[in-house]
Amino acid sequence: MSREEEILEKIKESFGDDVKNITIKRSRRMFAETDAKHLKEFLRYARHELEFDHLSAITGEDLGDEIELIYHIAYQNAIELSIKIKVPKEDPRIATIVDLYPSAGIYEREVHDLLGVVFDGNPDLSPLLLPDNWPKGVYPLRKDVSLEEIREILEKGGEKG
Amino acid sequence: MGLLKWARRKSPWIIHFNTGGCNGCDIELLAALTPKYDVERFGILLKGSPRHADILAVTGPVTNQTRDRLLRIYEQMPEPKYVIAIGTCAVSGAPFWDCYNVIGGVDKLFPVDVYVPGCPPRPEAIIQGFVKLLKKMEVEGDE
Amino acid sequence: MSGSTIKVIIGPQHPALKEPERFILETEGEYVVDVKVRIGYIHRGIEKAMENRTYLQGLYLSERVCGICSDAHTTCYVQGVEELLGVEPPPRSRFIRVVVAELERIHSHLLWLGIAAHEIGFDTLFMYVWRDREVVMDLLEIVSGNRVNYATNTIGGVRRDLNGERIQKILKGLKVLEDRTKEYLRMIEREQTVLKRTVDVGILSRSDAIKYGAVGPTVRASGVKRDVRADDPYAAYDEIPFNVIVEDGCDCLARIMVRGREVLESIQIIREALKRMPEGEIRVRVKPRIPPAEALSRVEAPRGELLYFIRSNGTDNPERCKIRTPTLANIPSLCKMLVGGYIADVPIVLAGIDPCFACMDRVLVIDREKGEAKVWTLDMLRRYGREWYRKR
Repeated sequence: MSREEEILEKIKESFGDDVKNITIKRSRRMFAETDAKHLKEFLRYARHELEFDHLSAITGEDLGDEIELIYHIAYQNAIELSIKIKVPKEDPRIATIVDLYPSAGIYEREVHDLLGVVFDGNPDLSPLLLPDNWPKGVYPLRKDVSLEEIREILEKGGEKG
Repeated sequence: MGLLKWARRKSPWIIHFNTGGCNGCDIELLAALTPKYDVERFGILLKGSPRHADILAVTGPVTNQTRDRLLRIYEQMPEPKYVIAIGTCAVSGAPFWDCYNVIGGVDKLFPVDVYVPGCPPRPEAIIQGFVKLLKKMEVEGDE
Repeated sequence: MSGSTIKVIIGPQHPALKEPERFILETEGEYVVDVKVRIGYIHRGIEKAMENRTYLQGLYLSERVCGICSDAHTTCYVQGVEELLGVEPPPRSRFIRVVVAELERIHSHLLWLGIAAHEIGFDTLFMYVWRDREVVMDLLEIVSGNRVNYATNTIGGVRRDLNGERIQKILKGLKVLEDRTKEYLRMIEREQTVLKRTVDVGILSRSDAIKYGAVGPTVRASGVKRDVRADDPYAAYDEIPFNVIVEDGCDCLARIMVRGREVLESIQIIREALKRMPEGEIRVRVKPRIPPAEALSRVEAPRGELLYFIRSNGTDNPERCKIRTPTLANIPSLCKMLVGGYIADVPIVLAGIDPCFACMDRVLVIDREKGEAKVWTLDMLRRYGREWYRKR
C-alpha cells in the first residue's frame, strides 16, 4: 500500500462520513472535503496523528452563494492534502487554526482581506495587502465584483492614502 | 561644452523610487551602477533625498499605496527637475494595466522626460536613457 | 535611542525612500519586543487579473510576479496547467527547465549575497559579487535571449533548445562562478566583521522553523532537511543526483552559508543535467481550452516553497489561480527571529530570509517606554548597527 493509500485508510477509519470524497489524484496529491464544523478536529488529527506538520497555504474562492476555503497541508514536505470546506457568503466565518499552525495567521489575514472571510479567534485580522483607503465591503477576489467595477469604485471613492 | 564634462561638473543626483514593480527593473538599474556598466562615469550619483535630487527615476506600475508617496517625492524636488520612467510598467503600466490596485504609467501623475521601455530594459538601455536625459538637461541648462 | 517611536523605513535596495510604515516593531531599550506586519505596497491584484486572461496570457503575468525568481513562477505555473491538461512535457524540456531554474537560483543567491554584504557594510564584497553575478546573467542570456524574464517555459515544454555551443559556454561560465563562490565563502567564514554581525543573530530554532512554517534556505539553515526538489520532485529533479544543503547554526551566518553552498550545488546540478539530457522534442502542442479540473503545483524557488493552485472551468481562462510566494511563508518566522533581538540586528535579520524586497518595504519601530516618534531611514539604522557593534 502506498503512503497516500495508508493516509486515506486512516482518515476513513477515524472520520467515516465526516470527511468525504477523499481522492488520490496522483502521487503526492490528495484532496478531501469536510464540513466547517469538522475542520478543526480534522486538522488537529492531521497535524498530530498523521504528522502533516506544514501548512503550505490557504486558498479561498467565491463560488456564488458560498465561499470555499481550501487548506493545503503537507506530510514530510511531500504529500499535499488539500482539504476543502464551504462557508455561506452571507456570513462567512470559521474558527481560526492559528493554534494548530501558527503560520495560518498570515494566510487567514490574506483571505480575510481579499474575500471577507472572518476567522474567529485570529488575533490579527487587520488588512495585510489592501491599502488603508480601500473601500469597506469591497472584496476584490469575490466574483460578484469585476475588475472594471473595482476601478470605478476606487476612482469614485478617491485615492487619498 | 562636451556632455561628459558638463555631467561631471553638474553631477546630477538621482533619486530612485519603486512604485510596486516586480524588481526586474530595479536589479537592472542597480546592475547599471556596478563596475561592468558603471553609470557613475557619467557623473550620475544615486542619492537618498528628494530635496537634493535633479532626477527622479521611477520603476514599477504605480500602485494605490505608492501613488501619494511618489507625488510627495516629486513635489519635494527643487526645480529644474526631470523624470525618467524605467521599464514598461513605469511607461504605461502594462502588463498590469487592468489590475485593480494599479494606476498605470507614471505620466498619469506628472510629466515624464525620458521613457525607457523594456521588461526589464537592459542596463545599456537604461544608460542610454540617462544619456538622452543628460543631453536634454544640458540643452535646457544652457537656455 | 530609547524613548522614541522610531519609524524605520526600509525601501527597495536603496535608502531614504519616504513611504508609509509596513512593519511595526515595538522596542524596549535595545531590544525588539513585538512585531506587526503590513505588506502590500506592491500588491497589484494579480490573482484577480489571472481570471481575466487566457492561460497563455497568464504565463506572461506569472513571470512578472517577481523579476528575480520569474522562472520559478513560470515553471510552477506551467506545471500546474500541464497537470490540468493531463499533458506531460517531453523529457528533454524537463532537463532544460532544471538548467534554467538552477541558473536562476545562482543569480538570485549571488544577488542576495551582495545585498547581505551591503547590509553589514561590506560594500567591497557587494561590488565583487555583483560583478561575478554578471557571469550568470550572461549565461541566462545565452540560454534564453534575455538577462531577466527568460520566457523559456511554455505550456507543454520549453521554447528554446540548448545546442552544443551554448552548452560549452555554460560549462565555462560555471567553472568561473564555482571558483569565485568558493573564494567568497572562504572569505566570509574568516571575516571577523561578518561573523560578529551574523553568528547567533536572528536565531530560529529547528522546532520553531517547522512550527512557523519556514521554507527555503531559511528552514534549511535551522537544520531542517526540506527542499521541494527532493521531497516533491518536479521537472527532472528525480533523475539528477544532488544534495539538499542544510546547516545547523539557526542564525544569520547559517543562512549565508546555505545560500553560498547552494550556489555550488546548483553548479553541480546543471553539470549533471547537461550530461544526462536526453535527445528529443522540447514541447508538445496543447489546446487553449481546459475542461474543469484542479491542480496544485509546487517548486523550490530560490527563496523556498512556491505554490500555485489552479482551477479550470472549461473555458480559455482559469477559474482561480492562487499564488503563495515563499516570502509570505517566511514572515511568521521572521517575526519570531526579530523578537528578543537587538534593534541593531534588524537589517541583517530581515535580509536573512531573502525577502522579495518589494514585499518587505516598511518598518515602524515603537519604543514602549516613551512612545514618541522619530523617523529613521534604513541607512541610519545600518549606521546605528555598525556603531553599536563597534562599541561592543
